[in-house]
Amino acid sequence: MVHALGEIHRVLVPDGILIDLRPLCDNWRIEVFSARETRETGHVTDLPLGLEDDETANQAMANAESNGWFARESETFFPLHYVWDTASDMEKWIDEEWTNFIGLDEEPRRATRSAWALGDADSRVRVRAKMLIARWRKMGF
Amino acid sequence: MAKATKDPEQNETRHLQKFVDVTGKRVLEIGCGEGRLTWRYAAASLLTVGLDPKQDALRVASIDRSSDLTDKVHFVNTHAETIPFHKETFDIAILAWSL
Repeated sequence: MVHALGEIHRVLVPDGILIDLRPLCDNWRIEVFSARETRETGHVTDLPLGLEDDETANQAMANAESNGWFARESETFFPLHYVWDTASDMEKWIDEEWTNFIGLDEEPRRATRSAWALGDADSRVRVRAKMLIARWRKMGF
Repeated sequence: MAKATKDPEQNETRHLQKFVDVTGKRVLEIGCGEGRLTWRYAAASLLTVGLDPKQDALRVASIDRSSDLTDKVHFVNTHAETIPFHKETFDIAILAWSL
């Protein structure tokens, strides 16, 4: 990862900009929502591999900064929704796509199924992911 | 495979635009995948190059590339550890979910 940042530093012009855009583990909130209402049904669970990835990425940027490659100019967090038509679709996605990174315990699984089944006809399910965006300036040549 | 809609509110695009202006710039996107984010900014750039180690994803990105972006947007199948460009080629680099 540090080598990749070195490569990015190499191909950027002096004063070039690096944008670091990525999701961060944060036990993301699950909601069942419709045009009429939104109901929180629990949270996903951060798994060790996901937390480790975040820590590795943060450490890589900290190293790039201490190496004098980049200086951080600004940073913020924002929500990004993943939306599914059904509770079952959400479960399949988490189980298949986020394996080892994000988990779904039995309680929020049951609560989401129930809220979706009893909800309005236009009810859907979403997970509110936490996103980081940071702007870095290339230093040196 | 279940299907998810990612970022229907386009929060990601809004924040990217707030953080960097790609107008007339040479942009390198690391981890472009199928081009989901690429298509949201590339038209304004002078040149955009998307890198990704997944050939299948780049195939989808190339198929999705509209004809007016053929000269402007290019994809390269590689890892970020070996970027096949000369030094000081790009004004902006975007690490898209890839650090």
